[in-house]
Amino acid sequence: METLHYLSLGFGVALQPENLMFALMGCFIGTLIGALPGLGPANGVAILIPLAFTLGLKPETALIMLTAVYAGAMYGGRISSILLNIPGDEPAMMTCLDGYPMARKGKAAEALAISAIASFMGSLIATVGLILLAPMLARFALTFGPAEYFALFVLAFATLGGITGKNPMKTLMAAAIGLIIATVGIDLSTGTQRYTFGVLELYEGIDFIIAIVGLFAVSELLFFIEEKAGKGREMIKINPLKLNWRDIASIFPTTLRGGVLGFIAGVLPGAGASLGSFITYTLEKKILGKKGYFGEGDPRGVAAPEAGNNGASSGALVPMLTLGVPGSGTTAVLLAMLVSLNITPGPMMFTQNADLVWGVIAALLVGNFMLLLLNIPLVGVFVKILSVPPMYLLPIVTMVAFVGIYSISHSTFDLYFMIAFGVAGYILRKLEIPLVPVILGLLLGPEMEKNLRHAMQISDGDWSILWSSGLSIGLWLVAILGLLLPVIVGPILRKRMQAAKTQIGD
Amino acid sequence: MSKLNDRVFGLVMLVVAVAYFYGATQFPVPFGGSEAVGPETFPKILGVVLAICSLYMIVKPDPDNHWPALRTFAELCIAVVVLIVYALLLEPLGFILATTLAVGTLCWRMGAKPLKAYLTGLISGAVVFVLFTYGLELPLPLGLLELN
Repeated sequence: METLHYLSLGFGVALQPENLMFALMGCFIGTLIGALPGLGPANGVAILIPLAFTLGLKPETALIMLTAVYAGAMYGGRISSILLNIPGDEPAMMTCLDGYPMARKGKAAEALAISAIASFMGSLIATVGLILLAPMLARFALTFGPAEYFALFVLAFATLGGITGKNPMKTLMAAAIGLIIATVGIDLSTGTQRYTFGVLELYEGIDFIIAIVGLFAVSELLFFIEEKAGKGREMIKINPLKLNWRDIASIFPTTLRGGVLGFIAGVLPGAGASLGSFITYTLEKKILGKKGYFGEGDPRGVAAPEAGNNGASSGALVPMLTLGVPGSGTTAVLLAMLVSLNITPGPMMFTQNADLVWGVIAALLVGNFMLLLLNIPLVGVFVKILSVPPMYLLPIVTMVAFVGIYSISHSTFDLYFMIAFGVAGYILRKLEIPLVPVILGLLLGPEMEKNLRHAMQISDGDWSILWSSGLSIGLWLVAILGLLLPVIVGPILRKRMQAAKTQIGD
Repeated sequence: MSKLNDRVFGLVMLVVAVAYFYGATQFPVPFGGSEAVGPETFPKILGVVLAICSLYMIVKPDPDNHWPALRTFAELCIAVVVLIVYALLLEPLGFILATTLAVGTLCWRMGAKPLKAYLTGLISGAVVFVLFTYGLELPLPLGLLELN
């Protein structure tokens, strides 16, 4: 009942004309970002943060817009999977498996429409799940003390690499690098200067928005130059759409299963959207067995992973909103937005910033309908923009990133910093050191240190407080599992995903 | 396959970790005496974690990714230099001219024809300038184009 009350409050916020407009804009931009290969959702949201800032948007409007971008990107990823056989973002990889064969058979329009409907269903199911689960989790999280929070942060880092992550030590190293960068600047509680080397610009610490944009946007440009992918690839032409209700009804059970499974994968630490779409696809293949023709353009093979990855992306918002601990790259970037708007993420948000949280949740529902409407009739527009070769697109995107960063502070010093982060990001990616933990470290560093401090003040310097309660011991155990599982289960899962990937190449 | 990359990076990070840890021991004691968790405690933990990870990378490196050939490497350097020059010239030259140069050069180096490339730069620069200065009322520097 309470939830319904809050939800109607949220709709009150989401349906304000200004917020509706920005949600629509976000949906449009998001679909574009998702569709363009090489411009992933985390990257796209990162570039938009400084712009949302300089526009002076209200916190809820800014967050609504960026969440719409996030949701849109998950829709958009499928377009290039189907038409180009290149996933627009990582979770869309599984959509290539049946989407591209369908398109080659002259059913591109049907594949696009079915995947849009599946995305819609997956998102809808997961948003309902979010509405039911998030308030409960937030209430539970209120019982967390500083020691539990410290353990939770460790857990977040440990599981961030995911079960499929290659080398957990590299995830840990990335997190340490991020946390180390976060300690630069004046220490908030004692006023001690740390690692500033007397440089005035470093006193306030390193702005994580600059770091995020540099790490993602600039390093992406460098990767494109290296792969000489400037010309783009040949695209399949779209045929006129022929879809009847029976086709839609036939994918319905698939989308239901996909949405639920995806949601669970999104909520759980260490799983995420890529694994979500992988699991849903494999499960669907198992359930339907010989009745389907998976890998040769089965519509259900398009619907399953799309429902899965959209479900997972909404699911991933649950830990981000309730605990303040994001489970994926894009939710980490969304968290960056919250932090820079001076909103402390975590369970208190549900009481202190109820209109914001529920506004965003309601906007997710509204945005989902907008996206369905945008994605079926307007798909041609996106396809047209997708045919602009990356050699024009990426320089322009980089320029927009420059403008965004420059307009925050009007200082060229920040721009040099951004370029430096871009080069660092390129090197880290070459060494297969993941970037998301770096960003999460940058973001959560101050909060993590604060909780460590509080815990130690409570215990009067006794370190054992960090693992004294049942809850914190549980969190530590999961964290350790998060580091060990990839070593044990990882190789098997990776092999299977690899097998799926090579199938695309055929 | 060579495994040098991880070893070298591990070594560099190990040096960073040691320097970082040493840096933490040099912080002045905060006013009011030291506490259980002072400004140096958290960095010290991080230094140790980073050192352990670096050692692991040195001992158990992953196989190298292939690095770009010399020519591609040169292209990458050009791109980075273009970005630095872009930042450098943004204020003196003004946004539109600097963008024309930077975006144009990047498009050209990525494979576009020079004329089309610089035209893309000019148009995108002008559009964003107008959008920001008049649409969003966030003035960008006009530089040389400014009429006194």
